[in-house]
Amino acid sequence: MNQKTTLAAAIAATALFTLSHGTTALATDKAAAKVDYTKMKPEALAEYLVFESGSFDLEQPTQEGTNGRARLTQDELMQLCTKAARSKKGLDAKTADKIRAMAQATIKYPEGGIKLGDWKKGRDLAWSGFGFRTAHNPDKHGPNNPPGANCYNCHQLATDRTGGDLGPSLTGFGKLRGNSPEMLKYAYDVIYNPHVYFACTYMPRLGANGVLTPEQIADVMAYLFDPESPVNK
Amino acid sequence: MSNNTMRMLTVALAAAAVPGISTAKQPEEVLQELIAKHKSAYLTQSPQNMMMMPDNPAYELIDEGKKLFMQARGPKNASLEKCDFGKGPGVLAGAYVQLPRYFADTGKVMDLESRLVYCMQTLQGFTDEDPAIKKRHGSDSDMMKLQTYIASQSNGMAWNPPMKHPLEKAMRNAGEVLFYRRSANLDFNCAACHTQTGKRIRASVLPNEKVPQEWTRAISWPAYRVSHDHVRSSQHRVLECLWQMRYPNLKPGSDASIALISFWTDAARGQPAILPDLKR
Repeated sequence: MNQKTTLAAAIAATALFTLSHGTTALATDKAAAKVDYTKMKPEALAEYLVFESGSFDLEQPTQEGTNGRARLTQDELMQLCTKAARSKKGLDAKTADKIRAMAQATIKYPEGGIKLGDWKKGRDLAWSGFGFRTAHNPDKHGPNNPPGANCYNCHQLATDRTGGDLGPSLTGFGKLRGNSPEMLKYAYDVIYNPHVYFACTYMPRLGANGVLTPEQIADVMAYLFDPESPVNK
Repeated sequence: MSNNTMRMLTVALAAAAVPGISTAKQPEEVLQELIAKHKSAYLTQSPQNMMMMPDNPAYELIDEGKKLFMQARGPKNASLEKCDFGKGPGVLAGAYVQLPRYFADTGKVMDLESRLVYCMQTLQGFTDEDPAIKKRHGSDSDMMKLQTYIASQSNGMAWNPPMKHPLEKAMRNAGEVLFYRRSANLDFNCAACHTQTGKRIRASVLPNEKVPQEWTRAISWPAYRVSHDHVRSSQHRVLECLWQMRYPNLKPGSDASIALISFWTDAARGQPAILPDLKR
């Protein structure tokens, strides 16, 4: 597709979106009167409950400047992994390949290569579960309270604090694995978008989803690799 | 006096001290029996909390809730004694373990909280803006006092939501889809934390939805939460999980919340409810 048609398509899509959006309130009122939950497939009803039933505050502002609707909208990876989680067979090999390729395409590497930041900042980030929570008690991000990386929720890291075990233990990470360029890239990829290696993992896409900034990723990397970090003591 | 007699006497005294409790068994006994039958790191995770159960601050709410229930209140100056929670007007024994359920008078599937709100509106004339209805959370709220009293009348009974009306099945099945639906900044669904046994978030052992013997405790609300110093409801549990998952605000009594609660109650079917419970 050349640039002109791409642009035309984009304008058409925007116009359509605006049109459908402008009539949403009316359409919902009418639909609510007619909707029969018992005639809907569970998947269709679930989507209706999320977006049409008034259950969620879809207009609630988010820290990233979007709204509740955007938070609840699934991208392709979320859809595929939801399907796999509900399937008795789990994730099939073809879909797994597709997810790995999609994930790889999201990863942006820092100019000048992957470097380690400040392990002390990384420690604070790894411990912090703050950030991006909205619902009844929205987190207020600020220069002194940045969103955290949530690492300890699921991983054991340094042994002076208790970490969860939904994910593997990362104690002694750098000490055990070394800090070759390949290992640094591997850790960077897993933090940025772990689906490159572990399709449909429950580990968040901390880079690809914009949970962590590039500087924060460098700090978390330092916490994992720096010989001075308590993770490696 | 033998140890056994001593223990029975203690239990009898404890039961007498808590007039709101409907069955002979105390919630901690229901829990101990579960633990004896089923080994679970989730059920046994805090010996300190288990020791506190006979002194559960939620007991106070049972008494206060009972008074509120019987008292003529609101613009219509009526009590809640004619409120039908599914087993007939005023029948509370075993009513909560059969919720959520379909109610013909509203044409909806309702959970304990939404049914209670409905009765306070229709029987007592309260509006959504009245504090009695508006304040949903906190041990000092009418809502939590009433819910704790009503739920306590199902202590030790098996969860048994009817699942007969097509709408009950539709809501339960949609709730299951929601349980697995991944979204928001961290790509989480409920299943991320609740489909494995013995796994922890930090120090907290998580309950597995697929193991009814431990899932029953996970859904046994109202419960006094030690870390909050408040008695909390099912609706509050859903809200807090979704908050951690980075979801937008969920409206109390909304159909999405009731679908999730329908699914999770069905998942504990047949296992005894611990009401009120005491949790971390």
